[in-house]
Amino acid sequence: MMSRRVFLGSSALAAADLFGAAEGSQRPSSELEKLAQVALRQAQRLKASYCDIRINRYRDQTIFLRLSPERGTGRTLEVPNVTDRESFGFGVRVIARGVWGFAASPVVSEEEIARVTREAVAVAEANARIQARPVVLAPTPAYRDRWNSPCERNPFDIPVAEKIELLRAAAAEVKKEKRVFASTAMLMFHSEDKYFASSEGSSIQQLVIHTIANLAATAVDLARGISRTRNYTPPPLEAGWEYVARMNFLEHAPRIREEVLEHLAAPPVEPGKKDLVLMPSNLFLTIHESIGHSTELDRALGYEANFAGTSFLTPEKMGKERIGSEIVTIYGDRTYERGLATVAYDDDGVKTTRFPIVEKGIFKHFQTIREQAHLIGEKESRGCCYADSWASVPFQRMPNVWLAPGPANVTLEDLIAGVDDGILIEGRGSYSIDQQRYNFQFGGDAFWEIKGGKKRGMISRVAYQSRTPDFWQACDGIAGPSYWEQYGSPNDGKGEPMQTNSVSHGCSPARFRQITVIRTD
Amino acid sequence: MWTRDEARKLADTILSFSKLPECSVVLAASEQANVRFANNGVTTSGVVLERSVTVTSTRDGRSGTAETTEVDPASLEAVVRRSEELAALAPQNPEHMPPLGPQEYPETSDYDEATARARTAEMIPHVAAAIAAAKKNHLVAAGFFLRSASVRAVANKNKLFGYDRSADARLTVTVRTPDGSSSGWAGRPSLRIAEIRGEEIAARAVEKCLRWRKPERLEPGAYTVVLEATAVGDLIGRMGFALDARAAEEGRSFLSKKGGGTRLGEKLFPEFISLRSDPFDPRLPATPWTSEWLPARRIAWVEKGVIRNLVYTRYWGAKTGNPPTGFPGSLVMDGGQESLDELIRHTERGLLVTRFWYIRVVNPQTLQLTGLTRDGLFLIENGKISRPVMNLRFNESPVRLLENAQRAGRPERVQGAEGGSVVVPPLVSGNFQFTSVSDAV
Repeated sequence: MMSRRVFLGSSALAAADLFGAAEGSQRPSSELEKLAQVALRQAQRLKASYCDIRINRYRDQTIFLRLSPERGTGRTLEVPNVTDRESFGFGVRVIARGVWGFAASPVVSEEEIARVTREAVAVAEANARIQARPVVLAPTPAYRDRWNSPCERNPFDIPVAEKIELLRAAAAEVKKEKRVFASTAMLMFHSEDKYFASSEGSSIQQLVIHTIANLAATAVDLARGISRTRNYTPPPLEAGWEYVARMNFLEHAPRIREEVLEHLAAPPVEPGKKDLVLMPSNLFLTIHESIGHSTELDRALGYEANFAGTSFLTPEKMGKERIGSEIVTIYGDRTYERGLATVAYDDDGVKTTRFPIVEKGIFKHFQTIREQAHLIGEKESRGCCYADSWASVPFQRMPNVWLAPGPANVTLEDLIAGVDDGILIEGRGSYSIDQQRYNFQFGGDAFWEIKGGKKRGMISRVAYQSRTPDFWQACDGIAGPSYWEQYGSPNDGKGEPMQTNSVSHGCSPARFRQITVIRTD
Repeated sequence: MWTRDEARKLADTILSFSKLPECSVVLAASEQANVRFANNGVTTSGVVLERSVTVTSTRDGRSGTAETTEVDPASLEAVVRRSEELAALAPQNPEHMPPLGPQEYPETSDYDEATARARTAEMIPHVAAAIAAAKKNHLVAAGFFLRSASVRAVANKNKLFGYDRSADARLTVTVRTPDGSSSGWAGRPSLRIAEIRGEEIAARAVEKCLRWRKPERLEPGAYTVVLEATAVGDLIGRMGFALDARAAEEGRSFLSKKGGGTRLGEKLFPEFISLRSDPFDPRLPATPWTSEWLPARRIAWVEKGVIRNLVYTRYWGAKTGNPPTGFPGSLVMDGGQESLDELIRHTERGLLVTRFWYIRVVNPQTLQLTGLTRDGLFLIENGKISRPVMNLRFNESPVRLLENAQRAGRPERVQGAEGGSVVVPPLVSGNFQFTSVSDAV
């Protein structure tokens, strides 16, 4: 057990001192490097064949406003919530007797790093009794580097008052119309100061900043006993405060104000087989669930069998299996600018890559990490290792997964014009998919009927169901590069204990033929 | 982890830095040991310490919350200052409630020393037993064994102080055929790690896997279902937040009455359906206080089919003249004495569901959910399991599940993959809506 003195914090080092120094430098902080050496030396003394340490600090700021009527008076009340969270600590991973061991602590001191490293080795030794096969790591060069995600103005430096003013104006604009019951506006900023060092000589410091926002309207029809919402969700990106200005909340506020009322009055869908035109704000999540997760190698090999599940794609299908039409090409990519999963190095210390997952409809490659590459005869990792906290063990997580755009001359209007009876779907709704990523059901935030090649009025209560390979083989049109947008999901769950991952999925609007549509409640 | 005295001292130190009229503190610390395994071998495992200090400062209804994991005096003072800076800039919250004074919190019995102290070495034999059971049957095991010990303390400038420690454990096992054509699951959560036996859990998972081989395709549609307790928990666990009085009054809930008002007092479900929060149930983890720091208490939500209470926050309670309830934790649903086998015996034709997966809300108003069956779905004919069937997707609401409930068995504590722990019985219910077939195993 850890000493009580250490847990009470008398000798811990402060995060601000470790990460704050030497901004702009190409070298990691020397204080971090010195601390890491404690773990690496300790692991070597205990005869661990491999060791890495991650010393990380996370910041999360959320500014939220709700405008809703006061009970009794109907007067609009403005209810705020402002939080700012920091988390700082380290995790040590070792391989001893061919097995992983992991331990983590929030007390960043030399004494505690040495103790936790011993704990990690003890865990590995306890595990050695039931190892199936020794862990083998694919080779990687050693790197000494520092990398920051693109950010012109650090959002944590911007006064909260400025953020609140922006949200207040947007939420008030939405709530202007009396029939809008409530509006909410939210800004979230997330940063990861990450330091990684390994016994193979790597020392890597990275800073990642995410900016996330949402504006929402709710309308209620008491007489009919229904309520509907409409959201404006700008793509969450690796970006700083400069991105917030480009979100144009005030431009979108009147639109969602009108659309929530239209949604409330919209007739329900006639269920059946229909052609779908999916906008990037909806299709991104379908890509994520059906292609992103099915091409994770740990799932395919059974490592997630007890929780997230396995996959309909297995290693022998690589390079052969058709899972999409000829026009479907999808990349795994942790290098794409501003993607939520974009970094220079993953949590194995591997330089990140871009690789085809699906090429012209054929399944090409799995997402991999160092310990998996050799299991499918590959020589190196594709850089898909991530842990969501210093307290979490790194494992295979999804890179950004994006759908290549169609030819430049294909427009959204072309896609719609080719539909006789269909639905245009925008935004994120309910989503569910089975544990092998075959059968899925997705909703959306807003639905418009398409009749005779024309977009008509809004409809409601729509969900589409399909089977991953059938769905992607039904794709017969993808709009050109000028329509391509990178949406993303900041909270993807996997692993036990469960971890969350942030990931982006770029795409252009795309058309899918004869998909089953059901009418929901 | 902090003792009661250490937590109080730490909270006092933090509060001593406060310069605003209101300041509240949450201290949280935990130690987890876990073993994860797959393909009949251990994969990742670890021992993890975590802690956090969360401070909320308020003046004139303007609040800011800041959190840190650093507990040296300088960091503690800094986190108080940060919360005060945020409060100074935040708008006034018209729904802010004044801080509570000292509270008498009840004792909850959810701490077990053996659970709190167990290390990887003590957990490994159970994992080894699960793997051995799978291997003996030429099957492949994956699973997760977790034990945790936690401390939580709350304090404010009005001399409120509460301290709670708890421990919990769970082992889940999935057993699959090597060719991936069948899968079975079993699990056991318990406050007492001594009650968790790898061999027993693995035997159930192995039996499920062997029995589910070669499932047949069954047309989707409305079926009578016999839900194992885990499957009931997967759905009923979602009902807690749907009991909110405010959402009901504002027309956004299944408890809203058309035209206005709520369905409080209405009999929505059969006589044998009762659902309550019980922080003193010896099977469940519990916190002695509610989310708003009032003492936790037993409260009936549904009694003999009647909606007996709605959830009131302090604010909404004050607005409407109702006592605040806090949001439902420690959910317990009553049942009968019948075993699962007896429920099956009484079912002429229906589907036996082991558990559900990937459950998402389709319509928050009706609480319509979608998701899929997983790790064992069987057709029951004439009171017997007749054959395994392929997984199905459902679109159904736990509200309708309870409306159509026919029989309940013996309640037990369960924990599904996606929700928290609840005590629920296995349940027979009619007209459950399945909408498509899944190829997934």
